[in-house]
Amino acid sequence: MTTSGQPSGLRRANDPPLLILTSLAGGPKHGYALSKDIEEFAGTVLSPGALYGAIARLEERQLIEPLAETDRRRPYRITAAGSAALADAVREMGRVVDVGTARLGLVGRTFA
Amino acid sequence: MTGAHTDHTGMLRWYPPEWRNRYGDEFLTLLEDTYAGAPVPMSVRLSTARAGLAERLRGVGFIGDSGGPEGRLRGASLMVLCAWAFFVLAGAEFAKYAEHWDRVTPAGDRALPSAAYDTVQVAAFVGTLIVALGAACVLPTFARSIRWHGWAPFSRPLRALLITSTLAVATTAGIILWAHHLGPTRRDGSWLPFRIIGTTWVVMVIIAVATGTGAVIGITARLGLSRPVTRALAALALSMTLTLVVVFAGVVAWWASLAASAPWFFGSGAIGSGGSTAPPAMIVCGAVMLVGLALALCGAGRVLRNLGGSPSGHRGPVTTG
Repeated sequence: MTTSGQPSGLRRANDPPLLILTSLAGGPKHGYALSKDIEEFAGTVLSPGALYGAIARLEERQLIEPLAETDRRRPYRITAAGSAALADAVREMGRVVDVGTARLGLVGRTFA
Repeated sequence: MTGAHTDHTGMLRWYPPEWRNRYGDEFLTLLEDTYAGAPVPMSVRLSTARAGLAERLRGVGFIGDSGGPEGRLRGASLMVLCAWAFFVLAGAEFAKYAEHWDRVTPAGDRALPSAAYDTVQVAAFVGTLIVALGAACVLPTFARSIRWHGWAPFSRPLRALLITSTLAVATTAGIILWAHHLGPTRRDGSWLPFRIIGTTWVVMVIIAVATGTGAVIGITARLGLSRPVTRALAALALSMTLTLVVVFAGVVAWWASLAASAPWFFGSGAIGSGGSTAPPAMIVCGAVMLVGLALALCGAGRVLRNLGGSPSGHRGPVTTG
């Protein structure tokens, strides 16, 4: 749930919508730039179908919005609702990470 | 779309027109940027097909939460209509297979299969009535839409509906007339030409029912149905689901009771002979009905989950005010 009480649809760390929101949190991007950025920071290659399926859902929920098209490439940017949904999802995952880290005795260790 | 897209435009055909209009160009640009003239891998083609079909299902409200509660209600009702189409096909096979069952069943053993068979017939009639009522609910909106927007938004599904139904009716009439001129030994399925033409006809009927159902779904999804009409369709979908459960139960009861009292019906037909009581025709019929039933139950569940929803104001792509 987002802070507004609406379901965000963000469930897992490798969910395409979550990856897209995370990428867009760093600034507006078009499809190809999104795909490359996600591959770089998450190691996940989203197929064009999965990427645009998630873009369509996020736009429908007004978590992202399209900007003016340039050279047949339309960039998208995260909205305020999208930022809130991402913050909620990150906080939720952070809690799981904290518990897992503590229970495995990994506190203070860095992850490669 | 520009000529530069020639290599990839075919991949867009999996998506519904509305999606293609909105995202098609940038999707093709992404493919061009990613593959830069190299062939698109098969895995990507397959995932695009899957994503496109999912968008189509989403577009008519079968999956996802697009379109608000009213859109989901309409989609769920149309899902139950699909289930009915499965039952039409399975029911036709059942009707053909089960004809004259009473001739080889001892009079004292006919009560249960007869009651089950009659139940199936009555439920099939009720189902047809429900479909007719659904059509009656939608027709005024359809007529208004034609008056205000013309035939253009509906021309493609209507053309498909017209062509396939005309072909199906014409070939059905033709095959019936032809079969009446053949002797019983030639039309019992053992004469190869009749078998080939019969199989072709069955395939044609399946295509006609599938295309017809797809066309009705395509047309209804484009209509701006009012809340009362959507609610009426949802109620009809729930009634239809119940009817399909009765049809399925009736067929199973008929099959089981006849297998117990006249098992020879499923074999050679000669009274007292043995053989399997699970012939391929009945297995196919049961399997198709089960698929339809699963679809109907999914649709009914979706109807029930969305019946309490508040009006969303979403009325579909073509609004009629």
